[in-house]
Amino acid sequence: MVEFDRSAFISKFQEEATDLLQRLNEGIINLEADPANRPIIDQWLRDAHTLKGSSRMVGLMEISDIAHRMEDIMVKVREGMIPYTADMSDTFFEALDTVVFLTENAGKDAAAEADLEGVTGRLVAMANSDAPVPEPGAAVAAEVAAAEAAAEAAALDEEAEDAEADEHDDEGQDVDDGAPSGPKRAQREETLKSKTQATVRIRTSQVDRLLNLVSEVVISQIKAEQRARDLRSVSGMGADIHNLWGRIKTMLGMLPADEQGAFLDDIRLLDDLFGDQRRALVALAKEYADDMSRTSTVVADLQEHAMELRMLPVSTVFTTFPRAMRDLAKQYKKDVELIIEGGDTELDKKVLEEINDPLIHIMRNAVDHGIEPEADRVAAGKPAKGTIKLVARQEGDHIVIEISDDGAGIDPERVRSAAVRKGYITESEAKSLSDREASYLIFEKGFSTAAIITELSGRGVGMDVVREFVVERLKGSLDVDSVLGQGSTFRLTIPLTLAIIRALLLRVSGQTFALPTSSIEETLRVEPSEVIKVEGREVIRRQMRTIPLVQLRDILGLDPVSAPENKIPIATLGFSGHRLGLIVDEFVGEQQIVIKTLGSHLKRVDNVAGVTILGAGEVVPILNVPDLMANGRQMTGMRSRRAGSTVKEQEGGPRRVLICEDSFTTRELERSIFEAAGYIVETATDGAQGLAKLREGLSPDAVVTDVQMPNMTGFELTRAIKADDMLSSIPVIIVTSLERDEEKAEGINAGADAYITKSVFNQDTLLDTVERLIS
Amino acid sequence: MTEAGPTTRFHADQDRAILRRRAESLAQAGEETIAIETVGLLLFRLGEEWYAVPIERVREIYNEYAVTRVPRVPDFVLGVVNVRGEIVSVTDIATLMRVPSRTEIDLSDERPPAIIVANDTCSSAIVVDEIGDIVDVPRDSIEPPLSTLDKSQVEYIAGSVFIEGRLIGIVNLEKALEPVGENT
Repeated sequence: MVEFDRSAFISKFQEEATDLLQRLNEGIINLEADPANRPIIDQWLRDAHTLKGSSRMVGLMEISDIAHRMEDIMVKVREGMIPYTADMSDTFFEALDTVVFLTENAGKDAAAEADLEGVTGRLVAMANSDAPVPEPGAAVAAEVAAAEAAAEAAALDEEAEDAEADEHDDEGQDVDDGAPSGPKRAQREETLKSKTQATVRIRTSQVDRLLNLVSEVVISQIKAEQRARDLRSVSGMGADIHNLWGRIKTMLGMLPADEQGAFLDDIRLLDDLFGDQRRALVALAKEYADDMSRTSTVVADLQEHAMELRMLPVSTVFTTFPRAMRDLAKQYKKDVELIIEGGDTELDKKVLEEINDPLIHIMRNAVDHGIEPEADRVAAGKPAKGTIKLVARQEGDHIVIEISDDGAGIDPERVRSAAVRKGYITESEAKSLSDREASYLIFEKGFSTAAIITELSGRGVGMDVVREFVVERLKGSLDVDSVLGQGSTFRLTIPLTLAIIRALLLRVSGQTFALPTSSIEETLRVEPSEVIKVEGREVIRRQMRTIPLVQLRDILGLDPVSAPENKIPIATLGFSGHRLGLIVDEFVGEQQIVIKTLGSHLKRVDNVAGVTILGAGEVVPILNVPDLMANGRQMTGMRSRRAGSTVKEQEGGPRRVLICEDSFTTRELERSIFEAAGYIVETATDGAQGLAKLREGLSPDAVVTDVQMPNMTGFELTRAIKADDMLSSIPVIIVTSLERDEEKAEGINAGADAYITKSVFNQDTLLDTVERLIS
Repeated sequence: MTEAGPTTRFHADQDRAILRRRAESLAQAGEETIAIETVGLLLFRLGEEWYAVPIERVREIYNEYAVTRVPRVPDFVLGVVNVRGEIVSVTDIATLMRVPSRTEIDLSDERPPAIIVANDTCSSAIVVDEIGDIVDVPRDSIEPPLSTLDKSQVEYIAGSVFIEGRLIGIVNLEKALEPVGENT
């Protein structure tokens, strides 16, 4: 006899156990709220029983043992022999966690690492908490037998459900004797039916291949519809021919009879043929058009359902949350209730896989920072128990998930002062921010308003990481609404699927490209006069911001074609804090596109994220926004290098420059100029901060400073630097809009090494000046 | 014995199938002893020269296609095409192998034929000047690549074979189909 090889079945068991354990966890959560709910207990017993059987099959006896003991306890609960208590939940959760651990490490010798004895000991103690029962052993055995019978019957019922309906009756009869009384069983079956749905596991690659073929069918259908229209116009041509022929026939009829004789028969024949052909053509065109309209309905349905193949209800992720919330609440010693709504909202599986972590993180944030300690809540007249609500719903082609708490809300004042303290914004900027804008500061990199470092911040993950993840990986957005004292709502908006996005189609050098709409800030057509040209560098001003411009065809290395039209089409991109305007030849329009890879041969192509196939079968590359931003920014730097300023790779490594500037825009503009030229850039939002950085030991090769700044002006800063023996050798370049000679003189008197007015300010003068002063 | 009926029949069917399979394998074994092991090759022309790819690597021959150019790719990648919903790259194999006297391909005009080839990991449509016959050649008639080839060319040739007085280079598809841009 060949020994039964169990290892091959372990992965199957793991798959199955994951589902079972999830349901068992959920069951305990539900029982906590409703300890006497019989259907929940029955379902729970069936799952525990299945777990016991399957684990025994693959030789994982430890799991089987735990499952068996949990079953024992639950049977007693069902029979009212012991009451369900909150302590039991903890023991059950501990036991389930042990099973999860054992399952994940199945096949490895991991049993020793789990506290098996402790777990089983606690389970046994719980099972024996019903001391007054006279013959515990026998009673339990009988109960277990009954439970097993019931579970088996239910398992069979499930199988029967998949089979034909008429077969169902026969199968049901066979097992009926093992099951409890008739009506009871029927009732349970009903609850079962509503919960379990027949499913098939399919590899995603198979689904994708099917989707490929379906989209080809759609393209063929579009072409066929065009053919139907062509056919109708051909049939219209037939009508014209027929009319013309009618006139010719009449004229022929007027010829003398002897001249007609020779071809009289042919004319009659031709007349018949023309008539037949015309009727046939009209009929064909009509039938074809009818067929087409029928198929197009079918094809549209086919496409819709094919897309749905990848969709799963969000509940597949949400079901783990009640347990997670229970753990979080315990961890932060808060009493929190989680309400979940809209679990049946469907989402692409790929998105679903990514969504768990950000949601957990937002919930953790809500428990930690949102929900106040019980005493504070009671003092504020709120219920002692906090509520966190998780709501999912579909809005057009997006899914919106809201996580709201009834906690303290975000204090805009605290955020403002923290932001100023940490140098994100200046005091005057803070004053000009609305409360709503201020609360958005929590998404800034490294920002956290928590006074004490909690485990959350200890993990090194802030809301900025969550938001970045949502934007970059899920192509979505994360917003926050908060009312001080009433709570906060985090709103996650994500596309239904990562396979389909909205994109702007545009043309460059005669080729069409798609640009994901989510990264586009705005599309403009500007007059050439609005483009400010400064020595090869082009910028436009939009809403108080300076946006550098790049020809998209230069990034893509395409040949220029024909002179641009009167107005220049520009798409401005915003990505991780930077802005770039792309000059294109033409905007075609916005539409939904299906993302495909570039195929197995082209693994990674700069600037191209993939391709899409348009309705007519045309293949269009989808542009990769992070690549465009990086290359576009680098190109502005490359230009200046060609212009003669060579900065990089001199002895002593890269150069360092300190920029003191209170305007965010100018600061970032200067930063991008220096970074593109290979400098390491440090920034300060005013003179005082700059001086502090210098005194702390930052020794830059040059300081670039504005004049009018809060706390300490550029002139004051320059004087302070030049008066300090340690710092006086650092060249100071003043960049300002003050260009009256007296002011210039004051700058020079202060000891500045160079004075650049903003009107002549451009990349090359700035770089050249700094270059000259450093060397 | 009514219950045993279907089972017995099943066994009889099974036995017959086993016998048939055994007979077939015996017949094959007999042929193999006299047949020489052969390799099927699809010939194609590049400029003045003839090359070949193993037929087992050929997925299909592709004539009507619209190439979408992809910016900033190596010069031997002409773009991508849509093969029934699957995106496949188009490789100018002559440029890749540096085959001389080859006129530049104008994709907008008349499209040269392409062969879609695939190895285990990837597939591409290789553009050729003319598609030739499929021939079976004995495996031991395949010689190592000509020593006169320069280094950059020799890595793309897996071997050569004489057919009707012509020396035919067999393309090394493992090398030619190396994924593009994997390390960047």
